Amino acid sequence: MPARQTARKILIAIMLVCAATLITLTCRQFSIGPARPSPAWRAFGPENARIQIYEYTDFACPACRHAEGNVKNVLELYKGSVRVNFKHYPLAMIHPWSFHAAAYSDCAGRQGKFLEYAGLLFENQEKWAQAKDKPKEFAEYAKKLKLDVPALEACTEEQATIRQVQLDMAEGDLRGVSATPTFIINGKRAVGGGQFLNKVKYFDIVLKK
Amino acid sequence: MNEKIGIKEMLGVAARLILGGVFVYSGWLKAMAPAEEFAYAIETYRVVPAVLTMFVAVTVPWLEIYLGVFLVTGVFTGYSAFCLGALLVGFEGLLLQAIIRKLPVTSCGCFGASKSNSLSYEFVQNLALLALAALAWKCGGKLSIDSKIDSYD
Repeated sequence: MPARQTARKILIAIMLVCAATLITLTCRQFSIGPARPSPAWRAFGPENARIQIYEYTDFACPACRHAEGNVKNVLELYKGSVRVNFKHYPLAMIHPWSFHAAAYSDCAGRQGKFLEYAGLLFENQEKWAQAKDKPKEFAEYAKKLKLDVPALEACTEEQATIRQVQLDMAEGDLRGVSATPTFIINGKRAVGGGQFLNKVKYFDIVLKK
Repeated sequence: MNEKIGIKEMLGVAARLILGGVFVYSGWLKAMAPAEEFAYAIETYRVVPAVLTMFVAVTVPWLEIYLGVFLVTGVFTGYSAFCLGALLVGFEGLLLQAIIRKLPVTSCGCFGASKSNSLSYEFVQNLALLALAALAWKCGGKLSIDSKIDSYD
C-alpha cells in the first residue's frame, strides 16, 4: 500500500524534524556550540587556557566599571590559565553613547591600545555616558593615548567596525545576555561582579583537576 | 535484516551518511551562531536582496539540518538527496559568480562564519559533495528507514 507507506514516512519525517529542532534549540539554550572568539586586541591570556571567560560589557554601565578591576586581578592572578574574551554588549536604550564607545574602543584596539582606551572610558564614565551630544571625550582619549585620531574617527564609521559590535550583541542575545556585565565562564553564567567573584573561588579546584 | 548489499549500494549508503552528516554539521554550526553572522556572509555575495538576507540566514541552516537528518536516516532518501544536490548547485552558483566578479568575500559562510577556506577551495569541495549527492540519490536506498518501511507490508 504505497499511500500507507508514504504516510508512515511522513510521520517519521515529522518526528525527526521535531527531534532535530528540539536538540538544536536545547543546545542553543545552554550555549553549547562553538564560541566566536573576540578579535586579538580584546582577547587576553593564552588561547588554550583551561578557564575561558566571555565577558559581555557596556562601557557606560557602572557595574561593568566596578567589575573590570576584578577581571584584571583574575587575569594577573591566574596568568596562563585564564583567557578573557571581551565582548561588547552596549545597552543603547539606556546608554545613548555606549555603542559609539564600543566602536571607538575597537578602533583604538586596531591601533594597539584597546585596554588603555577601555580603561579611560571606564574611568571617566560619568563624563561622557549621559552626554546630550556626541562626547568630545572619545577624541580626547585618543589624543591622550597618541592614537591617529583621523584614522580612528574614520574607522568608527566603517561598516566592518559597526558589524563587529552588532555581532557581539547578537551573540549576547543568543546566549541569553540581558544585563551587563555577564560572564560566561567555561559555559557557566555569572551576572554581575558578585557572581563573577563567586565563580572565581572555584578556579583553583578547576585547575587542580 | 537480510538485505543483500553490493559495492554500489555500500558506496551509496556511505555517500548518504557523509553528505547528510556534512549538512547536519554545517546547519548546526550556523543555527548555533547569531543569524546576523550568516546574514553578513550572504550579503557579501551581493545576490540576495538586503531585505531577504535575514530570512535566508534564518531558513537555510534549518533546511540543511532537516535534509541532512532525512538523508542520514534515509527518509525520503531520493527527494532529500535531490534537494541537497539542488542546494549545492545553488551554492556553486553563488561561489562561481563571486569568483568571477572577484568579490571580497572574507568568509564564505559555508560552515558558519568562524572558519572559511578560499572560494575556489569551497567550490571544488562542493563539487565532491555534489558527486556524493548523485551517488546517494541513485544508490543510497539500502539500510534506510525507507527500505524498512517499503519491505514492511
